[in-house]
This record gives sequence, C-alpha cells and structure tokens, in this order.
Amino acid sequence: MSSPATAQAPERAPLLAFDKKTRRIAIDPMLDNNPVTVQVLGICSSLAVTVQVNRALVMAAAVTVVVTFSNLVISLLRNYIPPSIRIVVQLAVIASLVICVDQILQAYLYDISKQLSVFVGLIITNCIIMGRAEAFAMSNPPWQSALDGIGNGLGYGLILVVVSIFRELLGSGTLLGFQVVPQAAYDLGYADMGLMVLAPGAFIILGLLVWVQRSLTGYTEA
Amino acid sequence: MAFSNGYILGFAGGVCVFCSVIVASTATMLKDQQDLNRERDLHQSILTALALVEDGQSVPGPEIDRLWAERVELQVFHQDGRLVEGGDASADLDGDGDADLDDVALAQAAAKGSDAPPALVALYKRVDDGGAVGAYALPVQGKGLWGPISGYLALAPDLSEVIGSTFFAPKETPGLGAEIMEPPFEGQWKGKRIFDDGKPRGIRVVKGGALDSLPADAVAYAVDGVSGATITSRGVDAMVVSGIERDYAPTLLRLRSR
Repeated sequence: MSSPATAQAPERAPLLAFDKKTRRIAIDPMLDNNPVTVQVLGICSSLAVTVQVNRALVMAAAVTVVVTFSNLVISLLRNYIPPSIRIVVQLAVIASLVICVDQILQAYLYDISKQLSVFVGLIITNCIIMGRAEAFAMSNPPWQSALDGIGNGLGYGLILVVVSIFRELLGSGTLLGFQVVPQAAYDLGYADMGLMVLAPGAFIILGLLVWVQRSLTGYTEA
Repeated sequence: MAFSNGYILGFAGGVCVFCSVIVASTATMLKDQQDLNRERDLHQSILTALALVEDGQSVPGPEIDRLWAERVELQVFHQDGRLVEGGDASADLDGDGDADLDDVALAQAAAKGSDAPPALVALYKRVDDGGAVGAYALPVQGKGLWGPISGYLALAPDLSEVIGSTFFAPKETPGLGAEIMEPPFEGQWKGKRIFDDGKPRGIRVVKGGALDSLPADAVAYAVDGVSGATITSRGVDAMVVSGIERDYAPTLLRLRSR
C-alpha cells in the first residue's frame, strides 16, 4: 500500500505502450532476430519474388499487412481459441487475410498481381506468419503482437528488397525497371549476370547476407 | 483451461462463418474492378497482336479502352465465310438482338466434342485511317497440359503472312508450358504464312531444333516448340492447325479473294 501506483504498473501496462521494451519487439526482428537471415524462414518466397525490386516491395508490403493483422486477430482471440484447434483457427485467419490481399492486388495492382501470380496465395504457407501467430500472438497482448507482426514483416521485406536490389542490378542492369548500368558499359563488353535472374543467384546472395549478418551480430546456431 | 466439445465446435463454426463473410464480401466488392482489369488485359494483348501497342509496354487503362473502341472491330462470320450483317437472325443464337462473341461462344460449345467446325467464327479487324483494314486477329482455342490455352494470330490485311501473335496459358507450368506466353515463342510467328498454293495451311509447332532440318518450303509454316513442354506445344499445334485449316478456312478463303 506504500507505493500503490508504481508497484502495479507492470501488471497494468497502458494499451498502446511505446517504452523501450515494447519498441524492441518491433525492431529486433529487423536485425538481431531477422526471420530470414537468423531464423531462416520464408526462404521459398525470398527466392521466387526477388528478381525485380518492385515485386519484392509489393510482396514485402503484402506479407507485412498479413502478418500484422493475423497477429492482431489471433492475439485478440488468444484466450478464446481452444488449444486443440488453434492451428486450424490460425490458418483460417491467415488464409482469409491473404485472399483479401490477393483480391485487392487483383483490383488495384493488376500487373504486379499477375507477375506475383501464385506467390501471393502462397503467403498462406509462409512459415513466418504461422510462426509469429503460434510463437508470439498466442501469448501476448494485441498491441505487442501487432508490433511484432510489423517488425517481422519489415524484417522479411528488408531482406527481400536487399536481395532483389542485387539481383535486378546484376542480373538485368536495372533498378525498379530503370536502366542503371549505362549503355557504354555494355559497349565495352560488360554483360548482365544471367545467374542472378535464376534461383541459384538468390541462394548465393541470401547465403552471403546470412554470413554478413551473423558475423556482425556474432549469432551462432545453438 | 478446459473447453467443452460444444464450445470447440461452436468456435470453429463461428470462425468459418466469419471468415467466409469477410472473404466473400471482399471478393464481391472488388469484382467489377477485377473484371475490368481482366478485360483490359485481354484487350491489350489483342491490341499487341494487332501491332497497335508495343509488347511489354505499360498502357494506361483509358488509352486501351480508347484504342479498343476506335481501332478494333469485331466481325462474326458464318461457317461458310459469309459475314454476319446487322439483323441476321440466323446468327443471333442467344436471341439478344445482335451477333457477338456470346453467340460465337455458343456455336463453339455446340461444336465441342465433334469434328465439325463451329457454325460461327469471329475475327477482330484493325481499322486504320480512312477505314482501311490494317490487320486481322484470329482467335484460337485449345488445350494444354493442365488446362485451356488460347491465342490470337494477327494476319496482314491480304492474309499473306502472320504479323504477330499472343498466347494465353494461365494453367501451364511456369518456366515450361507457360513459356508460350513469352516473347521468344510468340516472336517466332511473325512472317509465317498461312496460305500454300491458295489453300489455308496450318502453322505447325515442331520439336525444338527440328526447324533447321525442315525443307526450305516448310519453314514458313513451322515454329519451334518449347523444350520440356511437349504437351503444351502439341496443344498449340493442334489449335492453330484446326483453326486455320478447319474452323476459319472458308472465311479466310473468302476474305482473301476479296
């Protein structure tokens, strides 16, 4: 009773806290705990949609939206979801969100949705989304879960965009569709690296990124 | 926390209903815009085949609508090659007062499964300045490995040669069958011929590389298939050959003699 307000503060955190600890939830997944380079999740789509930067950007935005809202919804429902059917419920929520995103892309970004084709639908099976729902949203309040979703979506998107910058620049000599490598370079005998347009190019870039990131943070597999 | 079976079933049911409502209402609300996009996409590829739009170029929607309305005209023909003109009730299969693509689709559905050609065929005509015919686009349909494939062959106004082509293979394997939608395959059709000695002659899709060993006079009637996509290539072959030599033959002959 001597210090009533402060003693109870951790128990009754404000709904939209933005202290250091909460911020780390969103920032950690972008660097120290990146879902792609540290947890090695979502590799399939990182290979598939990183040939061009604009596809990677749309994919990153789509995944961020889906993981944020799926975390939010799952977290709101977390005390009502029976544990025996929790995975099914998570899948239903994620699948509905993905279909909505796909429909919106088809209506307003038709060209890009045509290029991304099946990969938008495959966001449903992106392990990052399911992983965050199961590992974080099921046991944390909505605000923190949404932040975790934003952080993981952006962390995934960051890697996607970095990989796609290398692939588009080296593979096609363009960035966002604009010619970057000057014609003079081609005249002097420079050639685009065909390997970068193919999946192995993404594997190599991704491997190098994992290496760079882990030597910077000193992370090793336990 | 223990949940009763009744609660679990109820919860699962509730989630299902809620998710279906969300998904269904999104799809319904956006349907018009999506249909418009698909229609423009189709129009753009026909415009590309007719050389009104450059391949791979991004054209704003209203511009596509304008080109489509001003430069492209749909013409429906009877199987014997007679042009269907206004008020021709025998070609108005669905009874809506005019002969259009719906009637052609009905005619195709009726001919499906038999060897007989459909009673009606459609051509797109590119109208150039002063009303002259700039090109024809001939629609063809067939089947690939996984699903339907279709395409448009654009022909010079005197029908002497193919000036462009565009194919759709939405269900075919990316990287294999779906390669028929890519410029390396589509580009080969340019300059090919469809008449041999005054008779319509189908353009064959031959096995990769076999083009070099064909006799010189056959090269104008053949394109290279896609390696690793044998069934899809055969599908293209069958749809183009049956289109030129059967379904459109009388129409092509009649147009040519004009």
